[in-house]
Amino acid sequence: MADQGGSQHGIARTSRARTDEQRTLDLERIQKYHLLEEEIRSHVSQHNYTPHVFQLTSKLLKLNPEYYTIWNVRRRLLIYGLFSKPSAGSLPSTASPTSSPTATTTTSSAACSSSLSTATPPAPGPQTAGRSGTTADDNNNTEETHGAAEEGNQQNDLNIIKTELGFTIPLLLESPKCYWIWSYRLWILQQAIDRLPVLVARRIWEEELGLASKMLTKDRRNFHAWGYRRHVVEQLESSQLGGKSMAESEFEYTTRMISQDLSNFSAWHSRSKLIPRLLDERKADDAAREMLLNEEFGLICRAINVGPEDQSLWYYHRSLMLNLVGFVGHPTITPAFSRDDRVTYVVREIEGIKELLEDYDDVKLIYEALIDYTLYLCQLLGRQPDVTEKQAMTEWLAMLKKLDPMRNGRWNDLERDCGLLNGGRRPKVVSIDVGQGQGQGE
Amino acid sequence: MAEAFKKLPEKLQLATSAHVKYIQSLDTRKDEYDYWLTEHLRLNGLYWGLTALHLLGHPDALPRAETIDFVLSCQHENGGFGAAPGHDAHMLSTVSAVQILATIDAFDDLEKRGRGKAQVGKYIANLQNRQTGTFAGDEWGEEDTRFLYGAFNALSLLGLLYLVDVDKAVDHIVACANFDGGYGVSPGAESHAGQIFTCVAALTIAGRRGLVDADRLGRWLSERQIAGGGLNGRPEKKEDVCYSWWVLSSLEMIGKTHWIDRDQLIGFILRCQDTERGGISDRPGDMVDVWHTLFGITGLSLLEYPGLQPVDEVYCMPKSTIERVLGR
Repeated sequence: MADQGGSQHGIARTSRARTDEQRTLDLERIQKYHLLEEEIRSHVSQHNYTPHVFQLTSKLLKLNPEYYTIWNVRRRLLIYGLFSKPSAGSLPSTASPTSSPTATTTTSSAACSSSLSTATPPAPGPQTAGRSGTTADDNNNTEETHGAAEEGNQQNDLNIIKTELGFTIPLLLESPKCYWIWSYRLWILQQAIDRLPVLVARRIWEEELGLASKMLTKDRRNFHAWGYRRHVVEQLESSQLGGKSMAESEFEYTTRMISQDLSNFSAWHSRSKLIPRLLDERKADDAAREMLLNEEFGLICRAINVGPEDQSLWYYHRSLMLNLVGFVGHPTITPAFSRDDRVTYVVREIEGIKELLEDYDDVKLIYEALIDYTLYLCQLLGRQPDVTEKQAMTEWLAMLKKLDPMRNGRWNDLERDCGLLNGGRRPKVVSIDVGQGQGQGE
Repeated sequence: MAEAFKKLPEKLQLATSAHVKYIQSLDTRKDEYDYWLTEHLRLNGLYWGLTALHLLGHPDALPRAETIDFVLSCQHENGGFGAAPGHDAHMLSTVSAVQILATIDAFDDLEKRGRGKAQVGKYIANLQNRQTGTFAGDEWGEEDTRFLYGAFNALSLLGLLYLVDVDKAVDHIVACANFDGGYGVSPGAESHAGQIFTCVAALTIAGRRGLVDADRLGRWLSERQIAGGGLNGRPEKKEDVCYSWWVLSSLEMIGKTHWIDRDQLIGFILRCQDTERGGISDRPGDMVDVWHTLFGITGLSLLEYPGLQPVDEVYCMPKSTIERVLGR
């Protein structure tokens, strides 16, 4: 139910009335579309897993890339027809595969609607053999004919995989938010891992980083593309592709994205997830960790100085602050900090933000941060806000209510929770255990 | 609150009868190319339209018998439903089917003429990744917290939640949490209002909402309201009517709906209506569609706009249905 495909986004409302001409045109298009659909269905119901039917699915998917059933038909055409059959390694099935399905489908006759039974293994039989075990570099001298056949199979599969990756690119560029295309592309890439020698598969996956970057240049916040990038990196790092950590290069990538556009929260987010890993992998000592924390604070504070209205920046700033106060049970940058160290940093940030007020006295995010961080400080010190702090928070809250009346319900709750109402109760200061400085995250 | 709406100008009232007619007209457009291009969403669309009609107080505006026939015609042997006859089974259309049948009180028909509740439950349960706890959308393996939520939604309506490993699924959701209190599509992904809804609602169904950092999440969610009153789905993005559901229902679940400006949001949703021909769009002046129509109306319902039936913030279905089905 959370699928947005097919809904109208950002298309200007026009009169729904069509001219007779448009109507006729629509009817013609519908007829063509249905004929194509019917042709595919009829072939599939007869288990014709041929290149011809495959071409028909290309045609239909270009008309409608949201048609998920046709993407599935395409997968089945590959598995049962066009991909080589590793189990029959001695039969070089490179050239035009015949229409002999590997009878693993159920006998259901409902055309292409016949899903593969109730079981749901994402990888039906044929591809399990031939994976990883005997790769090209292993070269364990089995029969030579077998090796040659296998090589032919792999070449066939490699060609198909490359063609499929090429096929989806223009579709993705046109419909960058279509879940089905992304998911099909990932399935094809998985086939590379299952069917090709590690080094060949790896080269294919490496090229995917280029696609992810291209999509993110077109739309810096496309969460499909960010998710895709994360997935690609994960695979490239995995042992099945003979990989190693890419935390350093991904960290650099976020730096580049941020330098192009400070407001890119997706990039900041990615950065926040990478840093703890990066430090662990660098085997960074306490000094190196503190240095990185300082660099990050420096970077984000310079950005905030230029654009204090930008929520993305404050979210990242807050994530750094949480590293100082809410660190127990989370991956953290500076696990060895003493409480005094943490207090020093929080105080330093609060003072820096107060200075911002000299240039910007009408930006609500500044007041919000000041209140938050004052409460953080109290948490760290395990005490309630003192009279001066309460007075300051009261003033900041008044500014919040004035500048951001939309969220008055929230400011009222905050006022109550901070004990800033006349005769209000004691503030809700969560006590946290700052003695557990060793709790370094993953 | 009702007082405030009387002061709204005429054109800023909810155009109930236009919306009802619009939804009724959706299945009469078979001579439009778009009708066929969106066939992969037919069952979902039926759920969106039907739910909107129930909330508008017109539960009988679509013919019940035909609705049941159509839903059952989408079911496969394995218990799952495709989006339309001849379309492959998928989690999303299966959830819509269960929601529709629940809303029109037709589980009996599923038992007698369809493949039965147990088979539907089995189809959904088989899509759980038993290692990580999350769910795939279909046999091809795409995983997303949307599917996890869908599974919990449908299975709990069917009384079959015990078929899956709830604890594992809960662990997975916890792994999707971010420092800002929100949740992403998978572990490591940035917070997104749509995914937040799915995660918070799934935790609620599992009886584990205590795992949500309500304060931090509420703050993030309340910042989604921007000038003009509409809500966006992530920082520094444009507003869109559908977030009137994803954001607002999440706020409702954690008891923080009062952290945004209700009247301004109501104004924004109402400005997105096509008051003459019915339907609601993503932003004022854009093309309407049934998806935004539903989420505009569910948003208004959560905001207690007068004349609307209350919507359940977890299931996105009429509260009366949920009370009947879950025996609350």
